[in-house]
Amino acid sequence: MSSRRSYLIRRVLHGFMALFIIATLLFFLFRLGLPDPTAALITEGLTPEERERIRASFGLDRPIWEQYFIYLANIVQGDFGYSFHYRAPVADIIWERLGNTMILMLPAIVLAYGVGAPLGAWLSWRRGSRADTSGIFVGLMFRSAPMFWTGMIAILIFGIGLGWLPTSGMRTLPYEASGFFDKIFTLDFLHHLILPALVVALYYLGSPLLIMRNTMLEVYGEDFIEMARAKGLPERRILYAHAARNALLPVVTQLAVTIGLAAGGQVVVEVVFSWPGLGREILNSVRTSDFPLAQASFLVMAAFVITLNLLVDILYTMLDPRVSFK
Amino acid sequence: MNRSRLMKSAQEPIRAILGDRLALVGLAVLLSIIAMALFAPLLSTHAPLAVNEREEGSLFTRSVDGEQVRWLASPPLGNATLNAADYRDGLGMAVGRDGVVWRYAEGDWSRLDTPLSTTLHAVNIREDGATLVAGARGTVALWTPDGSWQTYDMPEPLNVNGIAWRDAGTALLVGGGETIWRLDMASGEVTSLESPVGRGFDLNAVALDVDGSAWLVGDRGLALHLASDADTPSLERLPGNRELNHIHIADSGAGLIVGERGTLLVRDDAEASWQSQDAPDSRAMRAGWITDDGHAFAVGRSGIVFEREPGGDWQLMPSDEERHLRTLMVTEEHYFALGSDRFVNRLAPPSGEHWFGTDHLGRDLFSQNVHGSQIALLVGFLGAALVVLIGANVGLVAGYFRGRTETVLMRTVDVMYGIPFEPFALILVLLFEPSLFIVILAVSLLTWRTVARLIRSQVLSLRERPFVKAARVAGASDLRIMYLHIFPNVMPLVFLELAIIVGVSIIAEATLSFLGLGPPQSISWGGILHNARLSGAWREAWWWNLPPGLLIMITVLSVFFISRSLELVANPRLRARR
Repeated sequence: MSSRRSYLIRRVLHGFMALFIIATLLFFLFRLGLPDPTAALITEGLTPEERERIRASFGLDRPIWEQYFIYLANIVQGDFGYSFHYRAPVADIIWERLGNTMILMLPAIVLAYGVGAPLGAWLSWRRGSRADTSGIFVGLMFRSAPMFWTGMIAILIFGIGLGWLPTSGMRTLPYEASGFFDKIFTLDFLHHLILPALVVALYYLGSPLLIMRNTMLEVYGEDFIEMARAKGLPERRILYAHAARNALLPVVTQLAVTIGLAAGGQVVVEVVFSWPGLGREILNSVRTSDFPLAQASFLVMAAFVITLNLLVDILYTMLDPRVSFK
Repeated sequence: MNRSRLMKSAQEPIRAILGDRLALVGLAVLLSIIAMALFAPLLSTHAPLAVNEREEGSLFTRSVDGEQVRWLASPPLGNATLNAADYRDGLGMAVGRDGVVWRYAEGDWSRLDTPLSTTLHAVNIREDGATLVAGARGTVALWTPDGSWQTYDMPEPLNVNGIAWRDAGTALLVGGGETIWRLDMASGEVTSLESPVGRGFDLNAVALDVDGSAWLVGDRGLALHLASDADTPSLERLPGNRELNHIHIADSGAGLIVGERGTLLVRDDAEASWQSQDAPDSRAMRAGWITDDGHAFAVGRSGIVFEREPGGDWQLMPSDEERHLRTLMVTEEHYFALGSDRFVNRLAPPSGEHWFGTDHLGRDLFSQNVHGSQIALLVGFLGAALVVLIGANVGLVAGYFRGRTETVLMRTVDVMYGIPFEPFALILVLLFEPSLFIVILAVSLLTWRTVARLIRSQVLSLRERPFVKAARVAGASDLRIMYLHIFPNVMPLVFLELAIIVGVSIIAEATLSFLGLGPPQSISWGGILHNARLSGAWREAWWWNLPPGLLIMITVLSVFFISRSLELVANPRLRARR
């Protein structure tokens, strides 16, 4: 038991280390690539003194090591600085955009795994049949098509051609909402969610489907399945109660990894559907050279991925007793 | 012996591909895409970034829907530009490039056979239907309604811009360098009339007035008046000094002269003087037409049509397409505008000329799609090779040496796992310029992590196998054991990962290009979709969206099919269960 605890503590520490390394890399990458990050902010015709004052107000006149430590200290305090473009604290912007991204990605991923995993189990049961082949084919097809393209085609068909669904934004403009939940608990929002969520779900569908199918095929060869068969249990019961439960582990792992990466959003889906999420924000911040926002968005995404990866490891120790704690 | 073992390990995946029907299909598709990339210059029908132009004998018809007037594009008359047209008593004639003559009678257009091959600029119909046409290099010909043609020789091969019957037996021709010729139809004799200006300005048009005199207009607002019995024209002072392109005088005496920068000169009857009127737009007007009651029309480049109700102001009328209109023809029932120079063939749907249509700049999309395969495959294979090279070596070293080396390498992999792909690529582009190198760098920097982990776990079990121990006892060096004994055994896995990552890289490249982060001035499938989205025309132009996405899909799909058969080699446990 104690070995498990020390393992977990070590994993958490590793997570923090990774985050620290990424934050450091990010800082020096930015200083290397953008010697004068305020270039985008400073307009023509400023006197050198005014220019210097602006640089000083961002702390850019201090030595680089001092800047680095201030940067780290600010991150720890959740202070990501001030956006050049929005002229507002970066943290506020990021939390809102992150919420918008997750409210799109979570339903989509849940849908993909909720449909994909049972379908994969069923396909493994019918292995070699026509249903199996076409199931794999469809799953791989949506996996092979770039998501932005699927999105564009979906907009063409359901948005423009048939006129069934809205194709851009989270709500019909103009709208008034006093907060995040006020914004999303409406039919109008659901209406806007359908198309982008479906496109994301279709893309992710292939993963759980194939993983589930392949793991099931491996599990069928295990002794306990033979045992269940020998006991004369019905095939359906063996499939879902015995085999599927044991094949779920890799699927759950993949699910957690996918959710972690989802914070970065599928930039392209947010772009195609004009969804005001974190992914689209990072693209905009790159376009407007809003480097505090770009830097912080990236850090938040990395933190998300690392946290979810950590969660996967913890899940593993709880679900699979065979994991050794080295 | 070791070489043969490497060879053998490479043979196995090939046999696996050849044994699997789906993988075989995938291989065939992939090979054709590779062939497409290699032979792109031969396969493409056009230069992929060249602007394509088109020419046609455009025919626009005025349509009135309630109050709304609109000039609609009718099916074009052939593919040669039409320069001039005339209409009289049920017979219409339009002439154009390469001696093309179209006849309009009883509501139908038909093309006449002509002995002419030079570009025609002018046409005028006599009361009995006999029609004179004239054009480049002194081409002048007479068509009679019985279908016969008679050509006339001019003293010099000058361009004839305007032509008008002076009476049943003589015609006036005007052209470059203030040329005024009087042609006697019976004898074919040409008399050169002297211009009072004599500065070599071009004369662009001529029209006969109701009193039998003639009006000649040309460059720098030049206007000449030739009395019915005179042989020397007199200089007339008209308002403005812009180039005048065309003159039309109705039987009632109402007249219209049009010219550059929206020049519109109107007279309401034969007695009135020419008045300059305000145009709604200061574009070059190419031709005008005025009816007996003073209803006037003028046309110009890019589908510009002006109209004036009798006594009213000139209005800009909506027209269907941006064709260059060069002439007008008004019949009892219809109002026609004709013309079209070479125009940019924008957003053309697929046709025999452009198999996948054209984009918003008139560039051939089939050729773009063919060329796009080059970048997709280059990034796909180069990126995958780089990824596997880094990943396999890191995995091999970490798995073989274990200890501190392993810890450092695997911690690095952990850090890499914390970096989301698209945002990372965005940041790279923010800091450096977009280029092919950045795209490949972004793809390979973030994908080797999976390969490293997989290879390492495989090596971990391999290094405990007896043959490795035997090699070590025999005194083989670490490098030798790693690359000659262990590596061939992870080859199937390497091939599998290679195939998967080719697909991943192709999608990654398409994604970056779609976001506008690809190398500028290069053609890629994602870039085509980026252009389509940026132009806004993708909502209508399905031929622009569909092919690049389908190509990406079938390329990646074919790679996935191949990788599935390799999976059997890498993981023999699967084989037993199929």
